[in-house]
Amino acid sequence: MENRLSTGKIIRNTLLAALIILALGISWNVTGVDFPRLIRDLPKGRNIVLAFLTPDLTTRETTTTTVSLAFPIPCGSAPEGEVLTSGPRLVPSVTCAEPKTKFTLEGFDLAPNSEIVIRWKLPDERIMTAIRVQSDEKGYFTANMEARPIAATANNISSRLEVDALTPVGGLKPSEAVQDVLAAMFVTIFMALLSTTLATIVAAPLSFLAASNITKRGPLGTLVYYFTRSIFNLLRSYDPLVMATVFGFWLSFGAFPGFLALSVVTVASLGKLFSEAVEGIDPGPLEALQATGANRLQMVIYGVVPQIVPDFISFIIYHWDINVRISTIIGFVGGGGIGYYLSERINGFEYSKAGTAIWAIVLVVMAMDFLSAEVRKRLS
Amino acid sequence: MLRIQHVSKTYPNGTQALKDVSFDVADGEFMVVIGLSGSGKSTLLRCINRLIDPSEGKIYWNDTDVTSANAAELRNIRRNIGMVFQQFNLVKRSSVLTNVLSGRLGYANPWLSLLGIWPQEEKDRALKALARVGIAEKAFSRADALSGGQQQRVGIARALMQEPKIILADEPVASLDPVLSHSILQYLEVLNKEGITVICSLHFLDLVHRYATRVVALKDGMKVFEGSAKEIDRAKFKEIYGEEAQEVRAASF
Repeated sequence: MENRLSTGKIIRNTLLAALIILALGISWNVTGVDFPRLIRDLPKGRNIVLAFLTPDLTTRETTTTTVSLAFPIPCGSAPEGEVLTSGPRLVPSVTCAEPKTKFTLEGFDLAPNSEIVIRWKLPDERIMTAIRVQSDEKGYFTANMEARPIAATANNISSRLEVDALTPVGGLKPSEAVQDVLAAMFVTIFMALLSTTLATIVAAPLSFLAASNITKRGPLGTLVYYFTRSIFNLLRSYDPLVMATVFGFWLSFGAFPGFLALSVVTVASLGKLFSEAVEGIDPGPLEALQATGANRLQMVIYGVVPQIVPDFISFIIYHWDINVRISTIIGFVGGGGIGYYLSERINGFEYSKAGTAIWAIVLVVMAMDFLSAEVRKRLS
Repeated sequence: MLRIQHVSKTYPNGTQALKDVSFDVADGEFMVVIGLSGSGKSTLLRCINRLIDPSEGKIYWNDTDVTSANAAELRNIRRNIGMVFQQFNLVKRSSVLTNVLSGRLGYANPWLSLLGIWPQEEKDRALKALARVGIAEKAFSRADALSGGQQQRVGIARALMQEPKIILADEPVASLDPVLSHSILQYLEVLNKEGITVICSLHFLDLVHRYATRVVALKDGMKVFEGSAKEIDRAKFKEIYGEEAQEVRAASF
């Protein structure tokens, strides 16, 4: 008898093991696992990671000096420019050219050690940047050029070769990306703060209704208790990302729908934590207050509130911290703030700027994490 | 006069904590309730101010039927009955003064009290109550910064704020070092001499002998003895507490 039982067990366990292996095999297939690709695509990954690791942080104030020279394409279509012999000047190897002809361009007595931006100024005033080079200590540069067909003379007006010499003056200053990231981070932090605040205002009173030791008395109380509980549970089952997408379609994308989505999710989460804190209080003081003839509201204010304040504050700070992280993700679906900035930079292949945003997120999350842990430590 | 008549209590889980308990407490008595843990002492004390509703029986205080009082009447009855607890039941994070003032909630303006606003005369009353139990200087400390004995004195000061006619003391010294027992019970004795009826549950026989004007003993929810403290000798004590019980003397510590 025992033997047959154990045989049955073996068969059952074997079947179970086979099922688990099958399930894992399906999972492997649908996920498209291909670890060798991690190695094969390393160069692609390396460039992105490098860009992320070299965030766009600083720029220098520069002064720009511009020299220019008319350059007809093709020859004879317009008057050629006069090549100077002294002062800051451009000297092309030819003074005019047929389309697609290659030539060299030299510059003399420009700003030394400067970034040189060479561009075509087209007849219709449009600008087409050709190449960037560096001038030496005498202010000299040379560059290989091509007479681009697009720069052909039109209406007897030739294109001009224009050269900007960008000379750094003064010290480093935060780049545009840094300023944009700070502004976006500002939005994110305060969006998280506001949604946490709104969620607290809604969740704190509701949490008392969802606390069994306060509400679960009599049939009405029990009904209210279960009703509030199930609302919290229902709201909690929606991911913030899904919620943000819904609000995003409703209110068009931006910080406001992101804030609403965060608030709703936080109400559910804080409500549950708060109600558990209320349920965890020492009932002794409540009994003592009841014995003095205090009414229910007085019991809550004098007996419950002092016991839950530290827990509540710690949960609120913790959720602010969490919400900063979530709102970063929400930004990717259009919720505004740093997440939105980051997704835009990634979509625009501006990986250095994206790197700036990622560093900012890492720093802020670490700081919030540290601060909230410190505050919670002090409270306990 | 407090009259307890045929009081029984059965909890929802079926535990029968009190079985047909009756006795009277005259004004000014120091009535001590003894019995093993689980014999129904706490339930009995809590039936008197209806922190627990008795399942059967009646409790009269003077001419008022405590058992049938509605919520508002009950609050009025309760503010005349101070209560002191084994675990002190202070709000630990609140100041001593706030804990003492909370004893006055049954009298206070409900709205002002919710905002934490107390008239100066109530604050003075609280400080006076603390002075009576010898810890006026602790008024602004947090309650959990005090020692056990001091916390129980805050508990007594809180009860004093009610200007009570009766004080219920549920094992007021069971959580304290035995050496502190007398100090706490002496405060209750002084209040008793001033005319406050005290109903107190105790474990130590020598404390019973020292303080009780009358004793009620409970065993398994039934009253097994009622009489003067002197009538309880070792034999009676063993009968109430069971054969294995060893008498412990608080004084021997």
